[in-house]
Amino acid sequence: MPSTDSRSPIIGDGPAYDAVIVGGSLAGCAAAIQLGRAGLRVALVEKQPDPKAYKRMCSHFIQASGVPAIERLGLLEPMEATGALRPRMHMWTRWGWIEAPPERAARGLNLRREVLDPMVRSTAAETPGVEMLLGWSAERLLRDGGTFAGVAVRNREGEERELRARLTVGADGRDSKIAELSEVPVKTYPHNRIAYGGYFEGPPSPHSPDSVIWFLDPHWAASFPTDSGLNFYAAMPTKERLPEFKRDPEAALVKFLADVPEPPPIRDSRAIEPVIGKIDMTNRVRKPVAPGLALIGDAALAADPLFGVGCGWAFQSAEWLSDSVRPALQGEESLEQGLEHYRRRHAHELRAHAFFIHDYSNGRRFNPAERLMFSAAARDSRSAELMEAFGTRQIRPQQMMPRALPRAIAVNVRHALAR
Amino acid sequence: MSASATESPVERGSLLAGGTRTRLLQAGPAEASEAVVFVHGNPGSADDWEGLIAAAASTGRRALAVDLPDFGDTIAPDGFEHTTIGYATFLGEALQELGVECAHLVLHDFGGPIGLVWVAMNPEALASITLIDTGILPGYRWHSLARIWRTPVLGELFQATATRPAFRMLLNKNEPRGLPRDFVEAMYDHYDRRTRKAVLALYRDTDDPGSAAPELTKLLAPRDIPALVVWGEEDAYLPSSYAERQSEAFPSADVHVLPASGHWPFADAPETVERLLTEFLAGLPESSS
Repeated sequence: MPSTDSRSPIIGDGPAYDAVIVGGSLAGCAAAIQLGRAGLRVALVEKQPDPKAYKRMCSHFIQASGVPAIERLGLLEPMEATGALRPRMHMWTRWGWIEAPPERAARGLNLRREVLDPMVRSTAAETPGVEMLLGWSAERLLRDGGTFAGVAVRNREGEERELRARLTVGADGRDSKIAELSEVPVKTYPHNRIAYGGYFEGPPSPHSPDSVIWFLDPHWAASFPTDSGLNFYAAMPTKERLPEFKRDPEAALVKFLADVPEPPPIRDSRAIEPVIGKIDMTNRVRKPVAPGLALIGDAALAADPLFGVGCGWAFQSAEWLSDSVRPALQGEESLEQGLEHYRRRHAHELRAHAFFIHDYSNGRRFNPAERLMFSAAARDSRSAELMEAFGTRQIRPQQMMPRALPRAIAVNVRHALAR
Repeated sequence: MSASATESPVERGSLLAGGTRTRLLQAGPAEASEAVVFVHGNPGSADDWEGLIAAAASTGRRALAVDLPDFGDTIAPDGFEHTTIGYATFLGEALQELGVECAHLVLHDFGGPIGLVWVAMNPEALASITLIDTGILPGYRWHSLARIWRTPVLGELFQATATRPAFRMLLNKNEPRGLPRDFVEAMYDHYDRRTRKAVLALYRDTDDPGSAAPELTKLLAPRDIPALVVWGEEDAYLPSSYAERQSEAFPSADVHVLPASGHWPFADAPETVERLLTEFLAGLPESSS
């Protein structure tokens, strides 16, 4: 990995970089790799000094929708070589299991962030044109008139540098400093569940290597088999269950998972590290662009972790941004046009998904339409296939609804008549 | 329900207790004076417990259940008092007939108040308690169905119009996962005229099922009796918020609120309830009998 201090501070009028990306996690690294491979000069700023740093509070599950973006980065094979699993999805509902036919079910990716993050970061650092600055934090945004023109960063010793760039990218997560500094419009949506999870070693779950989620309505639980024979168990009950999880997170997690229908073998397993939790997961939707600036990953759209979309959408939004702005940064069109392409793509792909995710994240129970479709998916393989394609974010709600809703009505009418 | 059922087959017989000839389901060492005693609720019968009796017996203990008078196939004698105290007295007489001196009570629904009144009369005879969607209910206000039963004329009208399809629909409407069809059908088979009449009498006699809560808590809490509490989170009749509150009377209670379960967790989550019960029983001190 190149030294972080190999260049002298850049102070001057002309942009030294085509893009400065703040946040060296999945989205930031993916964007840096794509832009660097396009021959552009990229500064990638990460506040953690340790190149092996990784996000701890994460289910690490990558939906199938994110896999093509990972494959395009050339990371799929290395991930699989490191032990990543390619799970299908099984969903328990009160009406039964929702399981798409195996030959048609999409496969996601499960690799612990402890392994994934350093791999993605080292790939970014080794990409020609990418300069990695570890241990630097964003302090303020630079402006050129009404356009953002880079970022001033500071390290732990108090040294400050100005990184001027034509494009500034905020890839700094749910609590994005770049988003805050740029004052882009933001909408928040309440979240009324808590999330606790941890890695366990023990017997494989019955569906292993596939992932299993329990829609306990309104609670939620999951089992994600992953690399090294480990299993990530997660619970997302509503906040009424917080006291018992606060009292003893591991005991509460084990009890919760052991009491779900057709439980995984968590009681015969051993936590290999402390079970951790997150209590505040307010959803945030930000306008993903401003003049000279873009947001990707959770910085643009911090959705409910319940649906496991964060990691996949980090890779995907990084891809959409780099594809959108590359012509502009290569001088083929204006940056304004490139950012508008990105804004449209982001909205086209995620806006409707996000609407449904936000709507469910307040801790409510299934509404009548959801009950109709989930019950049909548990009773009919074609409905299950559509539900699985939607749940793994391979089709958008507007693609799923016209096909799934009439079928769900027919399936449930048939079911009622057969009783 | 379980593999253990084949290891400890449940024997069916009958028992005369307090003038009532009742059905008896039993497994495990029949002579033991310490037993796991299951008390059903409304509507219900000894049949509710067949799987769990086998499971409890697999821990090496005697396990048994009887029909409460006018429930199941059991006919109450003339003059039987369809009250909580009347049923608790019957329970005591049945246990005496069976030679049970020390009980691990497993209570469900109205079996809760009945069992707890028996406990109040025999606190020394209680070895452990398992509360399934029941317990001590301070401040509890009757659920809507009970309020109908408690209302003269309206209750009779309701019972008269409780046809099999209506019964099935009403029961499943309030259950998050629905109940196994066989379970519901068997329940309705037992829901005959005698049972319907008994239900009205029992509910009308019980103005406040939580009225004895302070005294029971005062009596039981210092004894710290081993307790398991299992409650379906979506119980439409007895709110699951009462699950944690059982710790007030049973400070060491192991409380499990089962997500996606309703009022009959032993019917909609049988494996989970069986596991919890057998582990709980296996973790208790060895039987002295």
